[in-house]
Amino acid sequence: MNKIITIIKREYKETVFKKGFIILTLLIPVFMIGVTIIPALLIELEGDEPLTINVVDESGLVAGSLHSSLTDTLRNGQPKFILNSIRSSSVTDQLVATQKSLIEKELIDGLLYIPASVLDSNRIEFFARNVSDFQTNRTLNRAVEKIIIDHRLKNSGFDPHIVQRLITDISLRTIKIQKGGKERDSDFTSEYFSTFIFVLILYMTLIVYGTSIMRSIIQEKSNKVVEVILASVKPIQLMAGKILGQGLVGLTQYAIWSIVAIAISLGGSSFIQMKGNSLMNISTVTMIWFVVYYVLGYFLYSGMYSIIGVATTSDQEAQQASMPITLLLVVPLLVLTTLVKNPDSSLITGLSYIPFFSPIIMFARINMSTPAAMEIILSLVILIVSIIGVIWLAAKVYRMGILMTGKRANLPEIMRWIRAK
Amino acid sequence: MPILNISHISKSYGSYKAVDDVSFTVERGSVYGVLGPNGAGKTSTIRMIMNILLPDEGNITLFDTAMNDTLKNRIGYLPEERGLYPKMKVLDMLVFLGELHLMPREEASQKALEWLRRLGLEEQKDKKVEELSKGMQQKVQIIGSLLHDPELIILDEPFSGLDPVNTNLIKDIILELKVSGKAIMLSTHMMETAEKLCDRVMMINHGRVVLQGALQPILMDHGKSSIQVEYSGDASFVSGLPMVETADIYGNYLEVRLKEGSSRNDFIGHLLNNIEVHSFKTMQSSLNEIFITLAGEKPNE
Repeated sequence: MNKIITIIKREYKETVFKKGFIILTLLIPVFMIGVTIIPALLIELEGDEPLTINVVDESGLVAGSLHSSLTDTLRNGQPKFILNSIRSSSVTDQLVATQKSLIEKELIDGLLYIPASVLDSNRIEFFARNVSDFQTNRTLNRAVEKIIIDHRLKNSGFDPHIVQRLITDISLRTIKIQKGGKERDSDFTSEYFSTFIFVLILYMTLIVYGTSIMRSIIQEKSNKVVEVILASVKPIQLMAGKILGQGLVGLTQYAIWSIVAIAISLGGSSFIQMKGNSLMNISTVTMIWFVVYYVLGYFLYSGMYSIIGVATTSDQEAQQASMPITLLLVVPLLVLTTLVKNPDSSLITGLSYIPFFSPIIMFARINMSTPAAMEIILSLVILIVSIIGVIWLAAKVYRMGILMTGKRANLPEIMRWIRAK
Repeated sequence: MPILNISHISKSYGSYKAVDDVSFTVERGSVYGVLGPNGAGKTSTIRMIMNILLPDEGNITLFDTAMNDTLKNRIGYLPEERGLYPKMKVLDMLVFLGELHLMPREEASQKALEWLRRLGLEEQKDKKVEELSKGMQQKVQIIGSLLHDPELIILDEPFSGLDPVNTNLIKDIILELKVSGKAIMLSTHMMETAEKLCDRVMMINHGRVVLQGALQPILMDHGKSSIQVEYSGDASFVSGLPMVETADIYGNYLEVRLKEGSSRNDFIGHLLNNIEVHSFKTMQSSLNEIFITLAGEKPNE
């Protein structure tokens, strides 16, 4: 046991202080911060300058009421839009041309042009140096739209206020029923995003740490350190130490990410009022399942990857030979959309019992719906039995194959290793 | 009292018999040499002692106990296929190997420093293994197998990759360990080294024991006196001479053994007629020659 701990310590130290680990560990939180905080920050920091917009209203319907419709303010309380209604008897083309040159010279920010025919054509035009600020575009568009609609309503004998009340949107509030009768506000976006992010992290870490076991076995064989280690430990101890050590590295990474995530959601909550809120709305139960399925999935896949590591002699060979295993991990990603739509369909339920897929799919099901306790237990039992089987096979292959260097083992040879006493 | 007792072990890989009915014992305070060409079964024998391979037949007893993995802590094993973790620092690597033999950390670190000092590697202790030369790595490797003060030391080709200075250094260490009462088992295909170091030897070829026993009696009994000649010219005719039993002919050096009862003078006469003789001497044959006689082939191939 002491020897296994010694090996775990070495594996852990060597991986945790490696550049790759540090980079991956730091990049993911940076990415998380990137997708949550930065958009919120950017909106906060948006230009504090009011926009000066000249309005040329040939229809005579809009300019008068536009002031009272465009009431948006900047953060310092000043109005966002400074509107100047331009009246002129001159030809429209000329007028527009002079306005355009004003925009070009940066004397004004934009020109809103409402043609006389607006009631028929339903078209208005906005000229500006920057037309990609979709919020400004939308605000202007809505304001004019409302004025025109109100005008039409009035002309047809309706009271715009009453109509407004009559056509109010119905909003759909979705509430998720959880175990123990708890309810929480939730919607498709938050369900989809939280599941998707977790599944992606599971998928990534299973591949990263599974293949790192495989590569480290190949390295030990190629730099011939393995027999030196076997001078004092049993092959099974070496394998156990490696698998546990790398597994702990994965858990460390999760711990760091969780701390960052909690810090973001606490410290950054004032920023993230929109999406962030539902994104970070992750229950402890989910976290526990997540860790459980990572650990189980990791044992299963590291066992399979280590068989490849023993049987091959170089990284390139191993990469080819491990393709089928990596494909097994891709399957859950392929059915993810189906899963989000209907987590309890027979396809998804079936897949959630197959040990290769259950770490990701059962986890996603638990996160999205409420599978019966029996279903979860059954899938866990199948998974654990498979883990024991795979680790037993891997240990046999490891014991027989670890000192066979020089050439890649074929399937019959691996079968012989398994049958050997 | 023998510390290691091997009795009738055999090992086959498929139909190939790598080790065939090998028995021997290793005693405290002695160096036991396992000799033979590459592929003779030396490494398989050692791997069975180390419980890395299981023998198909036979028993291995160590310290009067059937071999098991807990006994590994009392063995120092330098495998033929050896290496270190290239990214680890030298001292960390040694402490790791010490801890794997259940040494406390501080003790492992202290012992490792002593050994590094002794082998002139003290300045390298904080370097990464990969920054060391091959010879230095080899010495670190040897320290790794001796660090935990084992009672039985198994060295598989310990001198490969060492320059003459370091070879001597390691020879001295082996002899010192022997004096301090350790049992040492040395496997090599270099007969000259074995002749200088071993008290008892076993020669194996194709998995089978060809010869075993104390070194001196072996040399006396099997080593017929041979004739060694330095020459120039074409000496290929020598092996065809009627009085010659075996001949080992190199470009400018030859070693022959004459049939019993034949005259040395006749032989010399043939030499004088055909080649230019630079030196001529008769002496006891080496282990190398004994092996060739017994196994019918050259060990260094």
